[in-house]
Amino acid sequence: METIAASRCPDCGWVVAPPARVCPRHPVEMTPVEISGYGSVLSYTTLTVVPEGFKPPLHIAVVELPGGARIFCHGKETRALRIGRRVAIEQVDGIFYFANLGVADRVSLFWKRRGAAPERTRDAVKSAIKRFFDVYKRPSGETNPPAEDKNQTSEEEKNHRPAEKR
Amino acid sequence: MNLRHVAQLVEFIHHLQVVFPLHAIYRLSGEGYEPCCYHRDGTGSENMRDVWIAAAAMTRFGRRSETLEDLMADAALEALREANRQPDGLVVTAMDPEEFVGEGNLASHIGTYIGLSHVPGLRVETATSSGAAALYAGFALIASGFHNHVLVVGGEKMTHVSTPRVSEIISRVIDPHERSYGATMPALAGLVTRAALAKGLFTEMDMARVAVKNHAHGARNPYAHFQQPVTLEEVMGSRLIADPLRLQHCCPISDGAGAVVLTSDPTGLKLAGMGQGSDYLAIRYRSSLTGFRATQDAAIAAFKMADFGPERVQVAEIHDAFAPFEILALEDTGLFPPGRATRAIQNGELTLEGRLPVNPSGGLNARGHALAATGLAQVVELVWQLTGRAVGRQVKATVGLAHSIGGMATNNWVTLVEQVA
Repeated sequence: METIAASRCPDCGWVVAPPARVCPRHPVEMTPVEISGYGSVLSYTTLTVVPEGFKPPLHIAVVELPGGARIFCHGKETRALRIGRRVAIEQVDGIFYFANLGVADRVSLFWKRRGAAPERTRDAVKSAIKRFFDVYKRPSGETNPPAEDKNQTSEEEKNHRPAEKR
Repeated sequence: MNLRHVAQLVEFIHHLQVVFPLHAIYRLSGEGYEPCCYHRDGTGSENMRDVWIAAAAMTRFGRRSETLEDLMADAALEALREANRQPDGLVVTAMDPEEFVGEGNLASHIGTYIGLSHVPGLRVETATSSGAAALYAGFALIASGFHNHVLVVGGEKMTHVSTPRVSEIISRVIDPHERSYGATMPALAGLVTRAALAKGLFTEMDMARVAVKNHAHGARNPYAHFQQPVTLEEVMGSRLIADPLRLQHCCPISDGAGAVVLTSDPTGLKLAGMGQGSDYLAIRYRSSLTGFRATQDAAIAAFKMADFGPERVQVAEIHDAFAPFEILALEDTGLFPPGRATRAIQNGELTLEGRLPVNPSGGLNARGHALAATGLAQVVELVWQLTGRAVGRQVKATVGLAHSIGGMATNNWVTLVEQVA
């Protein structure tokens, strides 16, 4: 199971990833923590018009991790993705990817990234090996991952200052 | 129960008030609107001078061959002619002239170009809401008594730059972590729209209806970038940009400029209220993707300053950079109760002939989005609508609302303009 570097506010307990120096809610220095890379999808999109340095189609998802931290991540496709679905996060060279990808998916995904060819090959091989040895284990307490979160609002309302009014 | 619990309880009560402020507007509107908590208590009207609009002008939005300086001069000089007042303050805005046209020190540059180098000038920037922010600065300069007549001018020139490059420059308003994943403004808007669709706040058909309505309005506005109506089929059939957003849901890249002359002399057209709201730069920090706190706070501040509620607004210019944002904003500003905006769109209440015409200019969707000029162009449209000069698209109104979004709703503004008899 992948762990992800994050930071926690000593005052309000909020966790953000990637780690921030100061809590975005108030000017207090945060302390580094590690959180498990397994969370639920908040939203996702597929870009067909991409900024310089990326190749279309670009699949982006926002995933909420334990403690309320949300991260942006890339993926192979969003066709089967639904809001509230649980996905695993894998980190390769500081870039997050969602879902349990097959070996071929990984190779093609990393190949499309920017960077020199040798680095891309190394990343692709690294990820393929990772997959082969099935590093992808669920955390001990979570043998049966909860079904899709039916009510996303309940998660949102737990959070600080929900501007939500609906 | 120790001190810590008491502090938590107080904080919780404070949060409750922050969560439901717009409900408060609704319940209290009509019977002496009094928001429950707002930190701007104290800036009471007894300390502030009233601010009036003396003149407003804009250039046609679209692909323009003129330079940024000429566009801004066109708008500024026309506004000054109409105002017939010598400004003693100047506020200039452009979102990113350094990158788009390679010009800096903009307040002095534009001040000199339009013959106002002797007038104290400053530049204001809050991403895509820069025009509204500049107006706010001008408002504050007059309300405080620092100046009596202030020229506010904003413009943007970017169609000469390639689209991927424009997209890259604009995406610098996004959080660096999110940007490093290829997030552009359409990408973030796509995420917001996807979350809103999943929640059932509106359907893809409602989004298309907004685009059709605004293009129909734009077709009647000679200042609009797009002056052709589109059909529902054309919108639904246009290519995907950031799933579920399609090309026709998105605003174009436009050139243009707008200018407003503010004054302390009563002119009959009052800048009744202005409010600013802000939010985290990173959308991943926000507790909700489907409503913008920045808009809600801005609306509360503006209505409090104006001392009336949303029920008095008769025409609105909404920042529909992406069509679904119009639906979200109508509810965030309090113009419609939660869940009611979609029905209004389906019933045609937001057209020029409807109960509350929204974006009579065509909005960002059709009039175009020349970044820093947009916030001013919205107010120009309100001035024209309230003074009966909106030829071809005139509505009957005495109170207008303009709503401007900066970045991905990080720095938003709500402006209220009132025709005082």
